[in-house]
Amino acid sequence: MNADCFDIGTIQAFLDGELAHDEMSRVSSHSAVCDACAMMLAEAEAESAVIFPALEREFNTLVPTQRLWNKINDSIAVERDNLPLWHKAWAFLTVALINPSIAVAASVLIIAGVVAAVWMNRTPANDTVAVANPAKTISAPVVNSQTIQTTGEETKTPATKFEQAAYRPDNRRMTVAAVYRTSANANSDGYMPGEESYVKTISSLSKSVDEQKDNVMRPSERIAYERDMAVVNDAIAKVRTEVKKNPKNQSAKEVLYSSYQNKIDLLNSVSQKEELMASLK
Amino acid sequence: MNSIFGKTILSVLAVSLFAAPLIAFSQTLKPEAHPLPVALPRGPAKPAMVGGGASEKSISVDRNVTISLCVTQGNLKVNGWNRGEVRVFVKDGVKFGFNVLQKSLHSESPGWIKIVGRAAKGKYGPQSDCIWGDEIEIDAPLGSTVSMTGTETTTTIDSVKKVEIKTLGGGISLRNIANGINAAAGQGDISVDESQGTVVLDTTTGNIVVFEAGPSEIGNFFKARTNSGTVSLQGLQHRQIDVSSTSGSVIYDGEILSGGTYNLNTVKGSIKMTIPANSSCQVIAFYGYGNFNSELPLKIETEDKYEGPTRRIVGKLGTGGATVKLTSNNGSILIKKR
Repeated sequence: MNADCFDIGTIQAFLDGELAHDEMSRVSSHSAVCDACAMMLAEAEAESAVIFPALEREFNTLVPTQRLWNKINDSIAVERDNLPLWHKAWAFLTVALINPSIAVAASVLIIAGVVAAVWMNRTPANDTVAVANPAKTISAPVVNSQTIQTTGEETKTPATKFEQAAYRPDNRRMTVAAVYRTSANANSDGYMPGEESYVKTISSLSKSVDEQKDNVMRPSERIAYERDMAVVNDAIAKVRTEVKKNPKNQSAKEVLYSSYQNKIDLLNSVSQKEELMASLK
Repeated sequence: MNSIFGKTILSVLAVSLFAAPLIAFSQTLKPEAHPLPVALPRGPAKPAMVGGGASEKSISVDRNVTISLCVTQGNLKVNGWNRGEVRVFVKDGVKFGFNVLQKSLHSESPGWIKIVGRAAKGKYGPQSDCIWGDEIEIDAPLGSTVSMTGTETTTTIDSVKKVEIKTLGGGISLRNIANGINAAAGQGDISVDESQGTVVLDTTTGNIVVFEAGPSEIGNFFKARTNSGTVSLQGLQHRQIDVSSTSGSVIYDGEILSGGTYNLNTVKGSIKMTIPANSSCQVIAFYGYGNFNSELPLKIETEDKYEGPTRRIVGKLGTGGATVKLTSNNGSILIKKR
């Protein structure tokens, strides 16, 4: 055995016909002049002669023919064509997300999308209703303020800000869960004793009234209702700010409760009307 | 190839990250003007009523009869008379009849009747128990109770014992009611004159005017509420008075009775109370963005002076036999000498 001899792997590959043409010629010519290699080749051939017949059946069945390969490939192509689009997309995503950088980028995009959606759907705190001149349209009808002697202290009426009007579609979509969530939030806002019950009552009444008022009220009534509701909401908002500033302010609390009761009465008037209409039908 | 693809994806992501908040911000910048709705839904449609002629019917009843009726349209006048008989006259309206719902235990006469429309379907109007007509006049015993619902009616009731009325539209005028009123007008004024008993008045957009009313027995109270109208009370003799208006004013002109409780409340309106100079009551006034003034010598007992506009003033006139509570969020409060 010399340096030109081949190892058993090459000999076995030679026997299996897996070597390149030049390599095959080299092994063949070398084994013709080298006794050791010829011996090794003969032993390997003998072993193959024992093993191959034993495994012949398995080899014949396991190794597909070219025709079978063609059939398999055709079937795969047909199945791939019939695959639903989402499946293809999912497959594409699965492959694409293997790349860590793409996966991270996709995650960032999803988070950004969620944040953007929340941002766009948020309700602005200082939502205003377009009213031409509330001070004029909601003036006291009979008692002229000039006839009442005012005290020396000048009363300043702050710029009127109206809360979101009840007829806005956003409120109509308010679910029961949202109502209770609102109440819960209100509680966490630190409502005074007794105030929460007002808020809950108003929430539940508002929900039913929002569903009914389109059918119950005529345009002129609806306008009056929305105006009155804006007046009450404005009053509640202003006084509540005072109460928040100073929770010991009993007068502000009393005015606040009175305004809440007024709002409940206002909502009740719509409910009663709905009942009357139902009885007339 | 991979690097180009990766760069493209990252570029798109970067643009998206900047674009999403910008779009959101630009949407919030849009003017959020919500004017009052233009195309508002219509209310209950009036049935097409085409009647003709006049019809009149009468029925002998107990003197304390209860009369139930439903009126969809027309001017209704109910007058009390000193007879045990109900007479109904309808001009240019529906044919009608009487249903006796219950007989009186004492007189065997009808003690509860219902006036029902007899409209043929498609001929005079919709099939309904309600009556309608240009003019509807009912003469009823002085001791009768009128229980009525209405759609679009102008109602005048005079000289009966008790009235319960609910209408969707149209004014209600009640006079000389002996033993109690419960009136609710969806859209219309309510006026009450020279009546007794517990009085409960409620209107959505109308005014409430009451002149000379009082209790028929101990414990009768007076309650009035309007959303956007004015409440004007004169010569009330009730000792429990509760008045509320959302965007209207409250005017009280009368005596303060000993032991009485007077609660006048408005959100955006004034309260004007005109009372005799010798009135005796404790006055508790709460007001927000308004002011309080008294022409009578009010002995101030307590006056809260917190930061902010809201104020509470507790004072006394005379010995303080009654309690007057006045609450206004956005209006003035005035106690005026009579």
